[in-house]
Amino acid sequence: MNLIEVYIQEVTRRLPEKSRGDIALELRSTIEDMLPNDYSEEEVKTVLEKLGSPVTLAVGYRDRPMHLIGPRYFDVYVSLLKMILPIAVVISLISMIAEYFIGYDGEEAILNVIFDVIAYGILKTLEVGIQVFFWLTLVFAIIERVDNGKDEQPLTTNLKKWSPADLKNVAYIPKKKTITKLEVFGSLMWTAIWATIYFYADHLVGIYRGEGNRFEFITPVANQEVLLQYWFIVLIVICLEIALAIYKLIKSKWTKGMAIFNAAFQLISTIVFIVILINPDLITQNFIMYMTDLFEITANQLKSWIIGGGIFFFIVGAAINVYDGYRKARIR
Amino acid sequence: MGNLLNSLSTELRRGTLTLAVLSQLRTPQYGYSLVQLLEGAGISIEQSTLYPLLRRLEKQELVTSSWDTSESRPRKYYVLSEYGFEIFLQLKKEWIENSKELYSLLKGGEVDEFN
Repeated sequence: MNLIEVYIQEVTRRLPEKSRGDIALELRSTIEDMLPNDYSEEEVKTVLEKLGSPVTLAVGYRDRPMHLIGPRYFDVYVSLLKMILPIAVVISLISMIAEYFIGYDGEEAILNVIFDVIAYGILKTLEVGIQVFFWLTLVFAIIERVDNGKDEQPLTTNLKKWSPADLKNVAYIPKKKTITKLEVFGSLMWTAIWATIYFYADHLVGIYRGEGNRFEFITPVANQEVLLQYWFIVLIVICLEIALAIYKLIKSKWTKGMAIFNAAFQLISTIVFIVILINPDLITQNFIMYMTDLFEITANQLKSWIIGGGIFFFIVGAAINVYDGYRKARIR
Repeated sequence: MGNLLNSLSTELRRGTLTLAVLSQLRTPQYGYSLVQLLEGAGISIEQSTLYPLLRRLEKQELVTSSWDTSESRPRKYYVLSEYGFEIFLQLKKEWIENSKELYSLLKGGEVDEFN
């Protein structure tokens, strides 16, 4: 076996076609220069050892980088990934949930559908995450190889060189006042959840009985017709909450105006909640009977527990929320 | 500590390699003769660094190359181009100035160490 030829092949096969011949010729002449006239295999090994790993040598010959994404693009890449990933996941989740609701034929208990949606949602999130990661990485790896600019300076998100003027585009936000995107998405998700519960309460909120691994819906808690009497005012509350979330997303920090908006919103939603809750026809007779049997209490006791507890917790929650908003807005 | 010292001194030397190679290419040299010249002057250079470096210099038009097939073994000779020679003179000037500055800086440090 000719070690020299194998070594040269190991180097050149890692190189572009057009430079292979010349490099092979030069390498062979160099290696022979290093060897005495009549050489043994041991001497060949010593010489090849001096030349080092064929991979290192080949890397030296090629101009292309040994990394997928270099320092010039890495920061932009990570920023874009952080921006696109949550948006893509949220959009795909929303479209998936919408698909489920449009396709819902009313036959299956909604709780079961919700379990399906959650399982499928986790799957979908993973899938979209992998897709976004793959394509973005691919695009940047190509840019890294195509870009011939020798400038090693990292680029800013607008793909230009950094200058002090860029600092004007960055809002200075003290840590304690910030509203994270996660918080905003969380609040939008919460709106979606309670709105769904409101409009589908007769399918969702009620007494379930486990049968095997499926749940059977026995009786709803609330009268849907009574609930839906308030649909217009509830819709206004939904719109206000979405507006507040978008306002938070844009400002990304607590301001005095936001704290006032938040306080007003909490006040309105508390009033709406109480008005709906104290409607005497809200809770179904079936539910009252079931519960009074279960806990051995009178119907009036049950009602006062539900109404009293509901109002108490709602007001406490709203008060904490309002206070927190003002406290954060005041931080300098 | 040994490892760190090694990588730091390799880094120190890396920038000077181009200058060392350029300085020897005022007369035509082939790969191995260049290695011997440099080693003779006490400069150790990884061969896996040198040969790619020569090609890179050629691509940057600092050196030109030609195959000599008159002898039994064909050899590729590299020599400074006119442009390469100009660059070499400027780099040399820069290096000498730099080392003077660094030298006086290090000398100042030595005085401190004695106190």
